[in-house]
Amino acid sequence: MATYVLMFVNDESFRERPKDEVDAVYAEITRWSEELERKGVLKGGVELQPKRTATTLRRVNGTMRVSDGPFIESKEHVGGFAMIDVPDLDEAIRVAKAFPGGVEVRPIVVH
Amino acid sequence: MAKYAFLFIDDGVDYQGSPTPEQQKVYADIFKWFEANGPKIADGGAELQPTRTATTIRTRGDKRVVLDGPFIEAKESVGGFTIFDLPSKDEAVALAKTWPGYGIEIRPIREG
Repeated sequence: MATYVLMFVNDESFRERPKDEVDAVYAEITRWSEELERKGVLKGGVELQPKRTATTLRRVNGTMRVSDGPFIESKEHVGGFAMIDVPDLDEAIRVAKAFPGGVEVRPIVVH
Repeated sequence: MAKYAFLFIDDGVDYQGSPTPEQQKVYADIFKWFEANGPKIADGGAELQPTRTATTIRTRGDKRVVLDGPFIEAKESVGGFTIFDLPSKDEAVALAKTWPGYGIEIRPIREG
């Protein structure tokens, strides 16, 4: 088994959709995560507050510079993470495909 | 206390490839930083393999498309994340300022 991180990538306009549409997506996400939990695949996850709550620090000429907003100003941004334990990347992709939204799949570093 | 996600941002460095001696020192400093701040960690999160290992799944129309590479192609990328339990955003910024690596995006998390 290997651990993969699923990075959920949101389009901020998602939150501007009608409430029942947003609720339907959240319900789908809940079903998705509950099924994975039942199977013992899901090893935790986190949903981030919207990108307007982000603060970014960057090293510029040796010192950390603080700015408001996410590190990449883009329509798309990281909305949350989940960690899954699966046999291989193919299975990680299958799990990610069943999520109702954009996902970046990355293996983790094991020390 | 509130939970803050720290998204660790890399500037194109590949710690798992062939880091320079300078990058190796930063990597060692990062280990020490995690040791020193261990009691503030709510969830250790994960260190991600470099973006060259990334696979992206997007929706195009009503199809799910699988692509090699990260979601956003940029020099800066997320290299890992950890959740901290901290009294305030100011404390989160103060802690992030001591990060030995390149950058951090701080985001409060949605609970419940």
